[in-house]
Amino acid sequence: MPEGFHDVAWLARTRDQGDVSAWLERLPYARHIGVSASRDAAGDGLVFRLEPHEHNVGNILLPALHGGVVAAFMETAGTLDLMFSAREPRLPRIVDFSIDYLRTARVVPTYARCQLLREGRRLANVQVTAWQEAEDQPVATARLHLVLAAPEPSDA
Amino acid sequence: MNEREELQKGAVVAGRSPDSWRAGLSRFVTIIPHTRNLGLEVEEASPPWVRMRLPWRDELLGDVDHGLVHGGVLTMLLDTVCGSAVLCGLPSPEVCPTLDLRVDHYRPALAGQPIMAEARVLRVTGAMVFTEGTLWQDPQRPIARGIGNFVRLGPRNTPPGFAEALFGEADHA
Repeated sequence: MPEGFHDVAWLARTRDQGDVSAWLERLPYARHIGVSASRDAAGDGLVFRLEPHEHNVGNILLPALHGGVVAAFMETAGTLDLMFSAREPRLPRIVDFSIDYLRTARVVPTYARCQLLREGRRLANVQVTAWQEAEDQPVATARLHLVLAAPEPSDA
Repeated sequence: MNEREELQKGAVVAGRSPDSWRAGLSRFVTIIPHTRNLGLEVEEASPPWVRMRLPWRDELLGDVDHGLVHGGVLTMLLDTVCGSAVLCGLPSPEVCPTLDLRVDHYRPALAGQPIMAEARVLRVTGAMVFTEGTLWQDPQRPIARGIGNFVRLGPRNTPPGFAEALFGEADHA
């Protein structure tokens, strides 16, 4: 298996290159809802973006994005951000996820930034904030607990 | 809204059969673009409980190499199934946005199989609806559990004819 999340060399290489799009290419549901990532101009982290696709709408009356899609976006952002900022290349697995909805997410681009609050030997806690027009008016905050697994060696 | 109007509105819902609820909630998930696009189906409804089925499709993948479902799919599904339970757990359907949702991931969901989603309303207060939901592919092995709390915006903030539209009846409002 020359490439993929379970190949430590590939994981280390894409991570060193900051190639988050290579990771997103291997996440069909994240691609389906339209997640992308770019380097944060203001710092050394990542900013994630969710496209306002018509098929991401959950309420046609308002209209508003599906709350579950916003959650899936933030879960993806938190996981990839951890893979990017952890001390070493490791593949995280979600243990639990919690989201608070603060404002209606309108059908416009949504952004997310993550903060790694704790990186232990086996567990990590990541906080995610999502916003649309203004970062100081978040549409949702979320947090994830993840187990950090050592990737399988290339010859596994 | 006075008490009598509340009762009349409740009559739209009172005495609905499980089949009528299944059809109403099917209409609901078909109106939502995201779940219509994924082909989500309502299998059974017995208020305040509902069971749905998400057919397999490759867009649900999160780990291509190991054939595992994306965790976000499970969160989205729990939000949808808990929110649908809310509709059939109220005296009459109201628009109820999700306040918060907590998901515990017990084990990964496997590619190639449908995912079943069940949810029920645990408690309704004047302001809130408390729900819980479970996902599974094998009923003996739950994939994830969710706790979702929903805000009641009340009849005043629910569009006229909302219940009638849910049940596919002429809207004379």
